[in-house]
Amino acid sequence: MSIAALNKVEMKPKEYKSDVSVVWCPGCGHHGILNGIYRALSELGIDPDNMMSISGIGCSSRTPYFIKSYKMHTLHGRAGPVATGAQLAQPDQCVMVTGGDGDGFSIGGGHMPHMARKNVNLTYVLFDNGIYGLTKGQYSPTSRPEMTAYTTPYGGPDEPMNPLLYMLTYGATYVAQGFAGKPKICAELIKGALEHKGFSYVNIFSQCPSFNKIDTVQYYRDLVAEIPEDHDPGDFGSAMEIARGLSEGKAPMGLLYQTSKPTLDEKLAEIVTKVGGHKDYDLNKIVDLYRP
Amino acid sequence: MAKKDLIIRIGGEGGEGVVSAGDFIAAACARAGLEVYTFKTFPAEIKGGYCMYQVRTSAERVYNQGDTFDVFCAFNGEAYELNKHLLIPGSVFVYDGPGGDFEPEIPEGVTAYPIPMTKTAQALKSKRSKNMVALGALSTLFNISEATLKEVLTDKFKNKGEEILNFNLGAFDEGKKLAEAIEKVDTFRVADPKEPKDVIIISGNDACGMGAILGGLDFFSAYPITPATEIAKFVATHIPKKAGTLLQAEDEIASIAQVMGASYAGKKCMTATSGPGLALMAELLGMSSMSETPLMLVDVQRGGPSTGMPTKHEQSDLFLAIHGSHGDAERIVLSVEDVNDCINMTVEALNLAEEYQCPVILLSDGSLAFSTQTVPAPKPENFTIVNRKKWDGQGEYKRYELTDDNISPMCDPGTPGGQHIATGLEHTEKGAPCWDLHNRDLQMDKRFNKLRPVVNTYKPVEVDGEGEADLGVIAWGSTIGVVREAVDRMRAEGMKVKGFYPKLMWPMPVEQYEAFAKTCKKILVPEVNYLGQLSHFIRAETSISPISYPICQGLPFTPAQVIEKSKEVI
Repeated sequence: MSIAALNKVEMKPKEYKSDVSVVWCPGCGHHGILNGIYRALSELGIDPDNMMSISGIGCSSRTPYFIKSYKMHTLHGRAGPVATGAQLAQPDQCVMVTGGDGDGFSIGGGHMPHMARKNVNLTYVLFDNGIYGLTKGQYSPTSRPEMTAYTTPYGGPDEPMNPLLYMLTYGATYVAQGFAGKPKICAELIKGALEHKGFSYVNIFSQCPSFNKIDTVQYYRDLVAEIPEDHDPGDFGSAMEIARGLSEGKAPMGLLYQTSKPTLDEKLAEIVTKVGGHKDYDLNKIVDLYRP
Repeated sequence: MAKKDLIIRIGGEGGEGVVSAGDFIAAACARAGLEVYTFKTFPAEIKGGYCMYQVRTSAERVYNQGDTFDVFCAFNGEAYELNKHLLIPGSVFVYDGPGGDFEPEIPEGVTAYPIPMTKTAQALKSKRSKNMVALGALSTLFNISEATLKEVLTDKFKNKGEEILNFNLGAFDEGKKLAEAIEKVDTFRVADPKEPKDVIIISGNDACGMGAILGGLDFFSAYPITPATEIAKFVATHIPKKAGTLLQAEDEIASIAQVMGASYAGKKCMTATSGPGLALMAELLGMSSMSETPLMLVDVQRGGPSTGMPTKHEQSDLFLAIHGSHGDAERIVLSVEDVNDCINMTVEALNLAEEYQCPVILLSDGSLAFSTQTVPAPKPENFTIVNRKKWDGQGEYKRYELTDDNISPMCDPGTPGGQHIATGLEHTEKGAPCWDLHNRDLQMDKRFNKLRPVVNTYKPVEVDGEGEADLGVIAWGSTIGVVREAVDRMRAEGMKVKGFYPKLMWPMPVEQYEAFAKTCKKILVPEVNYLGQLSHFIRAETSISPISYPICQGLPFTPAQVIEKSKEVI
């Protein structure tokens, strides 16, 4: 986003809480991520009037209700393109999408490559709990192999996907991963994502104590490993290597990759400049092109 | 009735210059102050295949493509084969010969003029000049002003350099010479030039794009689909000039989702698609209705279902446009009659979306998409632009506030104190999720009741004719233009017929339908779809029992078809 264009405000993390009560189950990792979001917003001093918080459908897609901001609660899988339109309409605003692994990578999976490669200037925080929670426990694109769940009583037939590898390949210009059990790291990564100009993606592991009985807090604690301090986030090859870590039984935590590229709104503004466009353009000139 | 118009059809292989020859004739006629209505068919293939371009021109207004051609010009044997059954006594046949790829049999009563187009083009060492040879011949044979045609050609080719321009004019002159050597025995001729009018000549798709620009559009997102893509091309070319945005999305769902996001963020937005794309967008239409987010889309209908006949004409998305979504998702549906409507009603549709904060669908169709027509040059300053009702900043802001007119003020992101949620969940006035029974009733009523006034505030349905009639013909979309002429011709024969031409398809102006039907003994509804979709809505929503007359072969009606059916049922 373009922090510089916004009025900074002095607000404590808890002052970003809206008056809608949080509906998630006790012990759900999403509480930790939400706290990380509040903290990141506070540290950046984002004015809630200048923020759009947009989501699709799922447990994590309820997040906008709990944040003071302008917001949209849209359809399953469609938060990305809705946010793209909103961002292009108001390029100076802070735009954040929150959603789950099913919303983002299953039904909404067709939109992810395009937000990333077009470098839409928004932040996508994906709450990855490896399960469909709101529909009470079906396996998801990030569920572990052979997971027994609501519609997979004999174990799931699919291989899980690795969101980090996808987002790096798609061309995201900021790729990070966190764990809900480490809210400070979450806050840092989300803050970095919100500050980043371009498409920033933060994958955050989040335990679902109600429906995903295997990916427990302890499982994630053992799984995640902080990215070594000497990793250069500008090194794409190294980022890909680290992202592959999950296949070796470890999941990286931290900032994998960050680069600077023109954003979609900047590219579109360039087109307007190229044709000398302005609000008061004489439309008769367009009509006249169609005279016989 | 003396014949006032002339219909020239050119057929040939795609890539042979059929379309450009047709465009040049249309432009020359329009420049000469005549009215023009063109009609084209082309294959779904990328290259080659049969391609047809028909120009109907008259000193008076032309409402449709006509019954059939007066003059047929065949560039090749395939075009001849496909059209020879239409070579009826009295018609004229201009063809590539001798030296073409076919030897036609000339039916009794048909006047034939062979013009060696291919041979002449070969002698000029350029196959591509075949259409110029044909153009020169047609100009001489049928009184298409040579001076005006040459002006049009000069304007077209001058940027490509003197050499190319002179070469084309030379080929034109060769065709002219060939025609001059022929003794003309028919009486067909294009009307003499008149005082040039203040017109433009433009296709339906380009006209929708122009309407969008004139209507104050800020943001357009679309996904390519036949036969709607030219709208996006027009907007892509011109919207940056007024600092607006066009985006090509990854699919139709994304395009309408982007439109919804941009609309929420305060912009005037639209998309354009065809039936398959509209089907994909259906879920977002439900969300637009529920979240009361203004959203406008043009659906250029084509032959369905599925991939169907993608380059062919059909009016078969009325069901989808009116009810296509989940739950009860109210919206406004309009349909255009002609290219002039494509301009004006795109502006109106954008206005209605802003005024009523709901989805507005504008239905066009495959024959209008590519039909170029002369229309009065629009005056940008004459259009009324409506913008959404905005919050005045006073008191507490409630996005879904219950108001007298059921329309709640909107508030752009960035406005101090106006934070709110646009949501697809059922909600309270403040937007909080709510399943309370009473609240549900209030919000459902609000979303439906806010649209009720449209039937009275939108322009009344045009009634063609007065008093009592033996037959009333109800038509929608581009079929209206066909029915106008059919009704006119039947009246001239002494028949008592009337026409009724709705453009607001939904909500349905039921009282106007009823009032019209009361003056007619029978009601006939011709439409280009299999089920008789408008007839279905008339039966469902009114007390009228119409005679449905659906055709579904990929072509628009002709006036003769409507007249024949009318005589049969009357």
